[in-house]
Amino acid sequence: MTCVELQQSLATSDDGSSLDQQNHLKTCTACSALVRELNLIIASAAELRGSDEPSPRVWNSIEIALRREGLIHPPRTSRSLIPSFGSRWGAARWVAPVAALFLITLGIYLRPHPPSTQVAKNVDQTVFTQPVSDAAIAGLNDDDLLQEVAQQTPAMKAQYAEDLRRVNAYIQDAKGAVNDDPNDEEARRSLLEAYQEKAMLFDLAMDRSLP
Amino acid sequence: MSTRTIKLVAISALLAGTLMAESRKEYHFNVGAKARISVNNPYGSISVKPSTGNTVTVNAVLHSDKVEVDNNQTGSHLDIQSHLLNGADSESGRVDYEIFVPSDASVTLHSTTGPLRAEKLHGDVTLEGAAAAVDVRDVSDAHVHIKTLNGPVTLTNVQDGYVEVDSLSGEVTLDRVTGPLVQVISTSGNINYLGDFGSSGEYRLTSHSGDIEATVPEYTSADVVARSVKGEVHDDIPLQPKNHSWLTFQQGRTFMGTMGRAAVSSTVVLRSFSGKIHLRKRAAKSQ
Repeated sequence: MTCVELQQSLATSDDGSSLDQQNHLKTCTACSALVRELNLIIASAAELRGSDEPSPRVWNSIEIALRREGLIHPPRTSRSLIPSFGSRWGAARWVAPVAALFLITLGIYLRPHPPSTQVAKNVDQTVFTQPVSDAAIAGLNDDDLLQEVAQQTPAMKAQYAEDLRRVNAYIQDAKGAVNDDPNDEEARRSLLEAYQEKAMLFDLAMDRSLP
Repeated sequence: MSTRTIKLVAISALLAGTLMAESRKEYHFNVGAKARISVNNPYGSISVKPSTGNTVTVNAVLHSDKVEVDNNQTGSHLDIQSHLLNGADSESGRVDYEIFVPSDASVTLHSTTGPLRAEKLHGDVTLEGAAAAVDVRDVSDAHVHIKTLNGPVTLTNVQDGYVEVDSLSGEVTLDRVTGPLVQVISTSGNINYLGDFGSSGEYRLTSHSGDIEATVPEYTSADVVARSVKGEVHDDIPLQPKNHSWLTFQQGRTFMGTMGRAAVSSTVVLRSFSGKIHLRKRAAKSQ
């Protein structure tokens, strides 16, 4: 079993306990570390309150977003992705990729820069030619959000559309500020905060307390 | 039967139906020290006040029979949940809570519509709601976390707090809020700070397009940095310039310096992209 095969097997239904998986894990430190982290996330997720479990709408939206990003493909059998998300890995199955993407973004934007301005600027310009998408940050995209709101609370759609416009403008301005001066710590902080605002918008729009 | 009589009967029936649909429930729980209380109420208000002793009292007004109140206690962890039944909407699913908790309890309140209110507590306070107005007052030694999209946020007399407010477009007002960390992030809402920035905290007020206004007494000690990328900044208080700065100075868009005694000062950062920033001195008569 290769690393790719192991990770694919983890994504379906197994938890790293099959014979093939165990044999691979004995010899592969990277995959062992991955499984350890996933188990840690599972253990932590178990302590979450039941009310924190996202609704089926959220799973559905995440699945749509992941398909659009090309990160997952339609299952060959009739099994849906949603049940597998809800199996043993539970919430951790989506927490892990979303958190990972978010942390990568944090690392990109907040890591310290060396004093060599020119080098730092070049590095950062490279970063911004390959920006992490907003969808990746929140695991969802604007259309999904508005679609959800339209179904859930149609009267609020215009408000959320306006909120999205504002927060996207914030992100664009913050990106511009970082591009202007990649070593400006405050500009980088602004960008992070702008993304936090967008994450909050998604979080509250997909209100877990609603039916 | 006269028209007037028919109207009276109809109105009486309507009132009777309304009164019958609305119901009040009261719950009591015993909890230990530093209890954790969580309330999830999709539609309606939640107000939390201190109780005497280690008891939690929940007074709930249910606006119809399409909503129920569920509770679950595990030790000192108490969950209250408004349970919407089929057909419930923002009116029929509404529950208004008044809850009394031990003052050292940590509370987490969630309501889409709100309003949310917490007062006279010194445990951690977390309030979330998309459109909920939020009011927190007379809280000390606590972490205060607030997230709202459009509702206004008012914090009054919060001492020694770790305060984090995220608001998309609601106006945020901080009146006498001090602590090691006071942070407000807003996309388009205005931010108003009234107070003296404490003695050694970090205060960060950020809005993308909203205005930021800080009104401070003359005795305030703080290192202040203010910067608006596209908006104006105004400073009514003479600041002692700093020798070294990481900030690129732009006339009319930036000011920075020290108020009062730098040795005991807090750090204040006011930032906006297109909003105005105004640091003003509090009028003498209101001191």
